[in-house]
This record gives sequence, structure tokens and C-alpha cells, in this order.
Amino acid sequence: MTEFAGHLPGLSAGEVEWKTLHFGAWGEAAEIRVPVLSEAQAAALAGRVRDNARTYLKTLRVAEITAIIDQAIARLLDRNDPWRQKVERLLPIVTGYDAEMIRLGLTGYLKTFRQPQLKRFLAEDFADPQILDDFQPRPKGGFAKAFGPDLLLHVWAGNVPGLPLWSLISGLLVKAGSIGKVATAEPLLAGWFARILAEIDPRLGECLAVVWWKGGDEAGERVWLAQADAIVAYGGNDALKAIRDRAPVTARYLPHGHKIGFGMVARAALDTRKAGALARRAAYDVMRYDQQGCYSPQMLFVERGGRVSPREFSAYVGHELASFARKHPRRALAIEEAAGVASWRGAQELRAFSGDRDLLGDSADSWSIVHVEDAQALAPSGLNRTLSIVAVDRLDDVVGLVAPFRSFLQSAGIAAEPEELFRLAGLLGQVGVTRICALGSMTAPEAGWHNDGRFNLLDLVTMTEIEHAAEAAADGFAPYVD
Amino acid sequence: MDVTEAQIIAALLEFFDRKDATDEDFDRLALRIFAYQFENNQPYRRFAAARGRTPLSIRNWRDIPAVPIDAFKDLTLSCRPTEEIAHVFMTSGTTRGGQRGRSYHPTLAVYDRSMILNFRQRFMQGLDRIRMGILFPDEQAMPNSSLAHYLALARRECGTPDSEGFIDGAGLATARLLAALAHAEARGEPYALLGASYSFVHLLDALQRQGRRFALPPGSRILDTGGFKGQSRELAADEFYDALSAALGVPRDRCINMYGMTELSTQFYDWGNETCPPVKSGPHWIRTRVVNPLTGQDLPAGETGVLVHHDLAHFNSVSAILTEDAGIVVPGGFRLLGRVDGADSKGCSVAVEEFLKAARG
Repeated sequence: MTEFAGHLPGLSAGEVEWKTLHFGAWGEAAEIRVPVLSEAQAAALAGRVRDNARTYLKTLRVAEITAIIDQAIARLLDRNDPWRQKVERLLPIVTGYDAEMIRLGLTGYLKTFRQPQLKRFLAEDFADPQILDDFQPRPKGGFAKAFGPDLLLHVWAGNVPGLPLWSLISGLLVKAGSIGKVATAEPLLAGWFARILAEIDPRLGECLAVVWWKGGDEAGERVWLAQADAIVAYGGNDALKAIRDRAPVTARYLPHGHKIGFGMVARAALDTRKAGALARRAAYDVMRYDQQGCYSPQMLFVERGGRVSPREFSAYVGHELASFARKHPRRALAIEEAAGVASWRGAQELRAFSGDRDLLGDSADSWSIVHVEDAQALAPSGLNRTLSIVAVDRLDDVVGLVAPFRSFLQSAGIAAEPEELFRLAGLLGQVGVTRICALGSMTAPEAGWHNDGRFNLLDLVTMTEIEHAAEAAADGFAPYVD
Repeated sequence: MDVTEAQIIAALLEFFDRKDATDEDFDRLALRIFAYQFENNQPYRRFAAARGRTPLSIRNWRDIPAVPIDAFKDLTLSCRPTEEIAHVFMTSGTTRGGQRGRSYHPTLAVYDRSMILNFRQRFMQGLDRIRMGILFPDEQAMPNSSLAHYLALARRECGTPDSEGFIDGAGLATARLLAALAHAEARGEPYALLGASYSFVHLLDALQRQGRRFALPPGSRILDTGGFKGQSRELAADEFYDALSAALGVPRDRCINMYGMTELSTQFYDWGNETCPPVKSGPHWIRTRVVNPLTGQDLPAGETGVLVHHDLAHFNSVSAILTEDAGIVVPGGFRLLGRVDGADSKGCSVAVEEFLKAARG
């Protein structure tokens, strides 16, 4: 199976050099051709996208843009649509994730980009989204209009299907011309989305491009960075730093680093009736995308004193992970990943000799839990369905255990009574947690969430303000002036 | 009756000299040493027992449980109480927040014998002595470095009296080294350069800056080890050996890479780096398995997995080590395919290595 990745308005396939990436999973193989543009082609493409966005995208009203995105998303949600079928066929081979997991995950995710949800997304950042279309009156007096960058560069990373759509759609909503660089680990979906947009509105399709270069390829990257007015980048801190160091100092830089999620279970949630279902939801969060998401939990803190003890709860979660292992099998691990899991397990096994912990799950199982009785600081697991469950006397203790890792914090899944939820949220927010969600929803942020606690649209725009005095002064020059 | 340390040492030294050791002989000694380690090395005993592996329950060296190499940082793995230990080798601490793995040697007689027998065969290849240039600090500068000891031993046992070390407090003594290379070139006698891979890169960079190159006399050879460890530019293997060969006039098949680790008492070598990655192998007292790291089970020949080394010479600690090196079994040995530690996540979740790095600041 061969598939071409990317979206290159104004360039024909024959003009471009292609590199073949090989993927294989679930007994099937796929060859994905990714474009390798020359410096001149890259510069010309960036210029074209910038010009097209200026002459077309910026003339559309936000409502028109959301309507077009809505149509594109509708096609990706429609299981009879050829694009959707392609997604369902190829992404399991490329990412290795269980096909059913991808199907369910994508549907849930794409639903957050339907028109009503896009309106919510806009409303989260703009009291009046029409400020993107026209000058709108400001409470302080005067008027203001929000302008997106002319050229927004997206540097995507990782194999979690669909993540690029988040920033790509953000760029469209603020009317920015977009160049997106797909990750080698999942080079397809962003390009397909761009091509669907082009099918629906060819002129809009010329306002964005989806390209590829090898991550860390300094020369390949520099030409793109030089063109960008704003850069949204995903990846590890080393990669993000490298981009920051090479980006023009005048470009706005919005990095999203790797994160570690965790969960908290209050004793109130640990009665024999509720604990089983709760364990299933926690296990679901661990299973989804094999913990590769920034929102995925790698550690669970469980409060002592409930009807169900932390150790019993660990056993419940283990039981659920075992059941998910049959329903949604873990993807085949690359040797480095398998070694990562083995090394984490090995380390836990050795520490278990001191008696404060025990391992659940056999080394041959596709999941592992280490249950720890002594409070311990937040730390990554071995990923790929490996989880630490740590017993604590009080959930308040968790705040101190996660606080040192502020730069890596983002999502916390909490199961607690309402008063407790708000109290804990206050404490966690103070140390850097930006998203509090229910267990079972950790991997499905709601529509319009503020990724990493930032205003994802507002961060992209600049405001042009007409001061009240300017307006008043203009009055003096009006033809109707008395 | 319990086996004593002296008996184990005697058995090992005898085994090293055997030219005709069979699989059964290896098995027998491996099991005897496992029984000794199980008896005297308490953390290892618990580790093995937790996996249901005891001297009574296993019959084959392949079933002897391998300790993850990381464990040398967390656990004291020594049969002899450590206060009685004369020699401790430590890892450089470049990973895991500077924590250093330790290997305890009550005597260096076994290590030294293992090293010399193997080194003579694989590097000296029939020469009795050769003039050596050492690109690594000496034992005084790095008393806990197994590599410093290894190189000192090589120089003492196989180097000519005018062999020299070229790393001092200020780093690579370039001027002195270039003079030695020029001298060797002029005299027409074979010369050997041995040291850390990254020091060779420093040498290459110095030569390039000065626009110098040498044609060392036939029979000259190079031994590099350890990789670049962030101490120099990173080069692909082919690029590295091409550059060495071009700069020093030593053909790639005379550029030998030694693969060793602090947690072992025996080293592996290739027969030159004409093509990369070359086949690596060791003497008859060390064996290598390629396993699925998750299950610890052997993989069929030809499949890539993680290397487990079983070094009988590492008698006081643990003989079976699960490494963080990927490899593949091939006829005559194995090919080393790089490190598998610190895998990044495939997505956007933070993985251990990056987290630790940030914690180190």
C-alpha cells in the first residue's frame, strides 16, 4: 500500500522529491511517501501560502470558516466517506495502535471540532468572536480587531492520531496561513485534512500546506523557520529548545513540551460499589493510545481510609487492564520501547525487595502496575500501559509530590466529592496543573480546552486598537462635519 | 560443601587456558558460579528467587537470571563483603542523575588474566609488543575507571617502554601526540593508538584544523571504545572509521572497536571495521544471548533484541547482565545495533530520560 503524505498547493507531485517511510503493524505494511522540498521550493511555497491567506482566508468571516471546517470534519466522521475509510485503514498500520481504539478515539476527538464546538472554542478566547472579522467596540472605549499571523508554522510531533488538527484548526480560525510539518511517526492525517478542505473550498486549500522534513534537520528547518511569523511546536524540551534557538527572534514562539498526567482517587470514591467502575475508567485512560498522550496518566495516587484499600484498588485496575489487553491489544513495541518497559519493571522489581511495593501483572503481560505503599514523588512510568499506583494518607499530600515538576504538569484526573474536587483543584492549580478532569476522560479533553493552560487562539493574534480619541478626532474630518 | 572464592578463582583461571572447552564445560562452570553467587550475593539471591530461579531449579546457563544493568546503581552486588574489597570500578555516571554503577573486585587477578589473554589474541594478533599511544586518562587520574585500568594493563603487558599517554589534566596533548605520530611514521614501525572513541574525534578535529594527516606504517592499528557519550561530535560509524583511516593511514580493517562495560570482566572485539556494524565476539568464557527485554526469553537467531552477557570472569558480582544494548545474533558472534536506553515516547507524554534530565537541571 503506498500513500502520499502532505499537501503542497501549487506544486505537482512530479516536481517534488519524495522520501519513502516504511510502516508495518498488525500483519500489514504501508509505504508512505513524504515530500522533501528544495530550499527554493520551500521558500516559494511559504510565500504562496502567505499571499493566498492574505488575499483570501483573511477576507472570510469566522462563521464561513467554521462552516467549512465543519464540513471537513463531517466527512472524517462519516464512516462511509472514502477519507474516513482511508484513515481507519492506514492509521493502525502507521501508528501501530489498535484499529478499534483509533476509530473510537478519533470519533470522540473529531466531534469536538463540529460547528457548535468551534463556536465554543472561539467563545472561550474571545468575548466577541466577531472581533476576528471587524473592529468591535471595547468596554474601555475605542474599537479593536484581532489579526492572526500571516504565516503560522506548526511543528508537530508524535504518533497520537489527530493531534495536529488542534493547532491547524486554531490557525484557520484566526485566519493565518499555515505551514504544518508532520511527524515521521504519523505523517498522514494533517495532510488529508488539508486536502479535504481543498476539496470543499479550493481557494482555502491554497492557504495552507502540509510538509515534512526530518526532525532535527537544521538546514531543512531553517528555511521554514525564517518565513514564520508565529511558530507552534510540539516535542521534547531538547527539540523545542533547538527550534527556539533557530527561530527568528521576531517570531512568536508557542512551545508545547511533553507532559505527564496523573490521577487522584479520594477515599469517598473507594466504596465497594463504585470502586470497580472507577478502576475501569482509570484503566481506560491508561490504555488509550498506550499512554503516549500528554494527558495520559502515568501515576495514580490513592487515598487510604476508604472501604476499598489502595492495594485492593490496584488489583481492580490490574484486572481492568488485563481485560482491555484482550479488547484493545497494545501495539507492538519497538525494541527501545520494550526495553523502556523492561527497565522500568526491572527497577520496580529490585525496589520491591525493600518491601514497600509489589508488582502486578506478569512480565509477559502487555500491562504492568507497581503498587507502592510509601508516598513517592511523581515520576514517569515505563509508558505503554505501565502504571504506578501510590497509596497516600491524604490527597493533600499529593500536591507536594507533584509540585517539583511544574514544567511537566498538565492533566490531573480526580475522583472525589465536589467540595474536595474544588479544594484540590485550587491546590493543584497553584503548582502548575492546568486541567482537572474526570477519570475516564483524561485522554479526551473537552471542546475548547485551554491546551497547557494557554489561550490557544488568543496567543496567536495581535490586537489592533483604534483609540477612542482617534475615532473622536476622525469625526472632525468627516464630510458631514458641521 | 560450599564452594569457596579461592576454588572459583582457580577454576576460572584453569578454564581460561582450556583450548577445547565444550558447551557442557561452560554450562558446568556457569552453574557452579551461579550457585556461588546465589549463596553469597544476597540481593542477587532475592532477585533470582523472586523469579523462581535457584541453583536447584536450573540446568542450563541460559536459565540463570540476568540482572538489569541499572541494578548496579541501586544494589550492592558483591559476594564478598564490600569492606573487604580492594578494587571498585565505577561507571562514569553519565545517565540516571549521575548515579554510578559499581563493580567489586576482591582481586584483579581474574580480570587481568581475562583481559590480557583476549587482548593478545584480538588486538595484538601475534605481536609481542607494540608502541602505544593512549588516548585516555591514566589510573592515577581515574582510579575507579575500568577502562583506565584496562589501558594501563594493555600498555604494561603489550606496550613498548616508549609508549605514552596523551590525555592529561588539560585534555588531549595534541602537540606531543602529533610529534609521536610523526616519529612513528618516520621510523616505519607499527604504532597503536588506543582510547575512548570521543578522544579520537578530538584528534580528528585537531588534525583537520591543522591540515595534517599521517600514513602510519603497515601493521599499525587503532582500538576505540565507548562511543561518543556527548563528549565530542557524534559521528556515524562509517564516517568515523573513514575519517580515522584517512587521517592516520590505518585501514579500516585494522580499526578495532572494543565493546566492554564496567559491569563485566571480559571484553568483546570485532575483527576490524571494514563494514559496520561488524561482528563482535568474545573468548570462550563469555557468552551472549539476544532476548526479548519484556520476557527475558531468547529470540530466534536473526531477530533484533536486547543483549544479555554471561561473563564467567565476573565471579564476585553477577555473571549474567541484561544490558541496554540492542543486538542481533549472527554466525560467529553478534552485531551491536546501538543503545536502547531512554526511549522517547512516541507521542507527547514525557518519558523517563527527559524527566530525569530536567530533574538534574
